[in-house]
Amino acid sequence: MTEPEQTSSESGRTAPGINLSGTIQETQGTGKVKTYSTREAVFKLENVTASYAGKPAVSDVTMDVYTHAITALIGPSGCGKSTLIRCLNRMNDLIPTASVDGRVLYHGEDVYGPQVDPVEVRKRIGMVFQKPNPFPKSIYDNIAFGPRVLGMDGNMDEIVETALRDAALWDEVKDRLETNAFGMSGGQQQRLCIARALAVEPDVILMDEPCSALDPISTGKIEDLMLELKQRYSIVIVTHNMQQAARVSDMTAFLIVKLDAEEKHRQGKLVEYDVTEKIFTNPADRRTEDYVSGKVG
Amino acid sequence: MPDHVRGQYQEDLATLERRALEGLDLVLVQLDKATEAVEQQDTELAELVIASDDVVDGRYLEVHQSILTLLATQAPVATDLRLISALLHLMKCIERMGDQCVNVAKLIPIAGHEPPADERILRDIGTMCRQVRTQIIQAKRAFESRDVEMARDLVRRDDVVDNLNKQIFRIALEVGDDADRREWAMTMILVARAIERIGDNTVDIGEQVAFIVTGLFREFQDASHPGEPVSSGQP
Repeated sequence: MTEPEQTSSESGRTAPGINLSGTIQETQGTGKVKTYSTREAVFKLENVTASYAGKPAVSDVTMDVYTHAITALIGPSGCGKSTLIRCLNRMNDLIPTASVDGRVLYHGEDVYGPQVDPVEVRKRIGMVFQKPNPFPKSIYDNIAFGPRVLGMDGNMDEIVETALRDAALWDEVKDRLETNAFGMSGGQQQRLCIARALAVEPDVILMDEPCSALDPISTGKIEDLMLELKQRYSIVIVTHNMQQAARVSDMTAFLIVKLDAEEKHRQGKLVEYDVTEKIFTNPADRRTEDYVSGKVG
Repeated sequence: MPDHVRGQYQEDLATLERRALEGLDLVLVQLDKATEAVEQQDTELAELVIASDDVVDGRYLEVHQSILTLLATQAPVATDLRLISALLHLMKCIERMGDQCVNVAKLIPIAGHEPPADERILRDIGTMCRQVRTQIIQAKRAFESRDVEMARDLVRRDDVVDNLNKQIFRIALEVGDDADRREWAMTMILVARAIERIGDNTVDIGEQVAFIVTGLFREFQDASHPGEPVSSGQP
């Protein structure tokens, strides 16, 4: 068991009585509740502020993301969920005006450290986006692309098959691996993108609204897949779907949009971060309650 | 944050709570009739109590169906979800209280038209009924106002009912050797027991008030370990 650490941010408290495998909550003599994690933190975010052109989009986020768990980021549009998730694998580097302050520690190592290669970061921390974005190539080549670029050892056929099996897609496509990926359904294309991310043997998978363009059946398949994948990977997901966060995630972080001190710029703030069951049954902060209840948007 | 939304949902939830709590008013009507039937040995009124239980059961089914619909269509969470859970418990309590009124009513013909009644027992049963009546009203107010202290006070009030129940039992043991009088006294023990259970149901409703407000289920009284600190956590 690690040292005690609070899992809440701005609200700063949790309540006893609901435990999730992997966390232990207890009330101290002062009445303060501490959450202990029996899991290792894959990410430790320390006062992370992400800005575009010097204006913070999300500011001062401190939270731990645990291994072999699904962590959901929820909040209204503009609260910085996507910006925050893109900080985790340096995707914001691709935007010229973007900058990140604070520290993003990945297994204790600063992702933004001077010696760190962003390509290596994105290999270990894969990403799946809102809209399926397969390459205009065959199903096989979509999966093989990453391993080839990275010069991975091993039998490519096996790598492709393993990735497709892990993404629960193999049985549907094994007889048409050489056909163009654009011929697949939207749900299949999204699972192909997940398989593509898995093919380079990542440690973490980031998903930015992965089901928002999918029908309920495809969404269900992706959600089942996420629950399977968390046994071997750590997953962080941004979602606008409250029920999806409640269904699949172990931990949930709620962010809001706030005006800055001069009331000129809107920026995202972490309000509450806790076990998902707690967030959806008895959140500590009124703003979380109003949002997850759908009373404010 | 933008303006509040989901107005229709909030309205439906408020209506659901109001319809559920009105179930306690229906129980009050049944309890008043049952009380009068006991005190007056009125078997016709007792039959009316039995027939009117359908009204209470009907409300239970109506609210239950509405809860299922709301769960299926609105997916309530947080305080709303706790309220829905509490309303399910509330309706079960209301249905049980209605049944206890029926149990009382069914015992009246057994006691007979002109039973060899003991005034002390009849007086104590009347006191129990009136005490339980105030508890039902208090439970409803506590639920409506989300007042945990008012809910917790139901335990103190229910102690009065529990003591009267025990007192009736003691009097019945000493009621004398006459067989008819003893049989009547035994029947009144069952009546007192039914009323005592209604009192317990009001405490159960109070515990649901605390659950809505705090998110934690705590028994106000631990029946299996009287006098010891109560357990806490999820039910």
